[in-house]
Amino acid sequence: MTMKRDLPETIDAGALLQLRQLGISYGAGTSGERCWILRDLDLDVQEGEFLTIMGSSGAGKSTLLNLVAQTLQPSAGQIAFRGKVVGGADMPADPGSSRQIGYVTQDDNLLPWRTVWDNVMFPLTLAGKASASDIERVRRLVEQVGLTPWTKHYPHQLSGGMRKRASLARTLAYNPPVVLMDEPFGALDAETRAQLQADLLDLWASEKKTILFVTHDINEAIALGDRIVVLSGSPGQVVLERRIDIQRPRDPELIFKAPTFAGHYDAIRSCLRAGSHP
Amino acid sequence: MRNRRLWIDRLALACVMLAAWEAVGRIRGSYWISSPTLVVERIWTLMLNGDLWFHGRFTLAEAFGGFLLGAIPGCAVAMGLRSHPFVRSAFLGVAAIGYAVPKTALVPLFILWLGVGPGAKVALVATAIFFIVFYSTLNGVDAVDQKLLSSARVFGASEWQLLRHIVWPAVVPYVFGGLRVAVPYAIAGAIVGEIISSNRGLGYLAQFGASDFDTTLVFVSLVTVMLIVLSVSAALSQVQQRLLRWQTGSSQDPHAGAT
Repeated sequence: MTMKRDLPETIDAGALLQLRQLGISYGAGTSGERCWILRDLDLDVQEGEFLTIMGSSGAGKSTLLNLVAQTLQPSAGQIAFRGKVVGGADMPADPGSSRQIGYVTQDDNLLPWRTVWDNVMFPLTLAGKASASDIERVRRLVEQVGLTPWTKHYPHQLSGGMRKRASLARTLAYNPPVVLMDEPFGALDAETRAQLQADLLDLWASEKKTILFVTHDINEAIALGDRIVVLSGSPGQVVLERRIDIQRPRDPELIFKAPTFAGHYDAIRSCLRAGSHP
Repeated sequence: MRNRRLWIDRLALACVMLAAWEAVGRIRGSYWISSPTLVVERIWTLMLNGDLWFHGRFTLAEAFGGFLLGAIPGCAVAMGLRSHPFVRSAFLGVAAIGYAVPKTALVPLFILWLGVGPGAKVALVATAIFFIVFYSTLNGVDAVDQKLLSSARVFGASEWQLLRHIVWPAVVPYVFGGLRVAVPYAIAGAIVGEIISSNRGLGYLAQFGASDFDTTLVFVSLVTVMLIVLSVSAALSQVQQRLLRWQTGSSQDPHAGAT
């Protein structure tokens, strides 16, 4: 508990999202006795950046997203958004307070009792009556993810890929500047996944979002990201940070044809291997 | 077609049972178990002279009033306890005691407090229904998908919005499960109350019939009660189907699953 006292109230507004000495632990006792899942994690995310996060299982990838989404309370450190501290060990976690963050989880988490349209509109209706321009925006978004013929259907009537699209549209509907995605395409077949990756890149380009994307698929990480960070160890820390210089627009399916692909792939793979066999 | 077959089977079984009843009534004498023809005849007479409606409406009103007075608080308390774990565990302890007490044993108390009028019957029904609906709603509240709640929180939902948009829709099937169990109990509660002390209602009718060695009148009362319970249950399941259209079933679409 001593380390956070040294942290300033605000952090120089360099990056959109700044994580400073972020840590989360469970158990009781002094910080040495507790079990840390993540510890002393420093990470800057630039506005408009597509950051992919990789790591061996159990390295705290999902935990990191939960901390940023504030569905988990950090045990140490701070989270700053546009230079302003919005979360940290000494602030009660308040998810949704800022409405700056969208979160696409592994499960689509669509409400089974709402139609696709009502699901996509759900975050907006929570904030009050949606304006005509909001509705128009959502209509375009639904069109973009190819769900226009399905708006009146219930989630159980859709395929996994369509539910994922609906979930994505719902998150983008209320226009959060930062979107967190936790292995969103993990459970889909290869073809659907490639299509969704391409659609995501289009959306990212048109909507100018900042994306934190967790994946365990090295191809996907390279195909999508501007930058890859690899978490490893226990407690989890950033062990590799690598800028992906492959030119955009990219074709996720043919990303392996890029000249620098092999270099990135090998570097990440050896790092992941080192992490999983300490 | 399976459905039609089912109904033919049911109808056949019902006819056999009614015929057996009628036969026993004729052979052993209608004094002991009356007979379907006598019961139908008597129902017709009582309907024409208005007696059945006179007694039936008291039972219905008591059951309905008690049903509302039990079900609404039962549901509301179970939902309200969601975000108060301490109050919840305290209340559950007390509720277990309340649930353990046989409700019929409370009737003398209710009569003492509320008199022999409809008040005591409503109180009896309400206490019985409260626990049924409370526990089934509580099950539903516990079964709400935490991930849905968490994702709604990220969207900025307030506690009240969580209750309204996530918890309530998720709990509706459980509430209806409880309500459907509760319907026969509501009528039964009213009847028992009337049998113990009353001068009107279907329970009184059965009691009066028995004391007058009028078996047919007892059966008239039983058949009427049965019809009431069946029709209320049917109405309830209609409402339930309308409210739960989002579940698999009626709204199935041939394109489901196609991308």
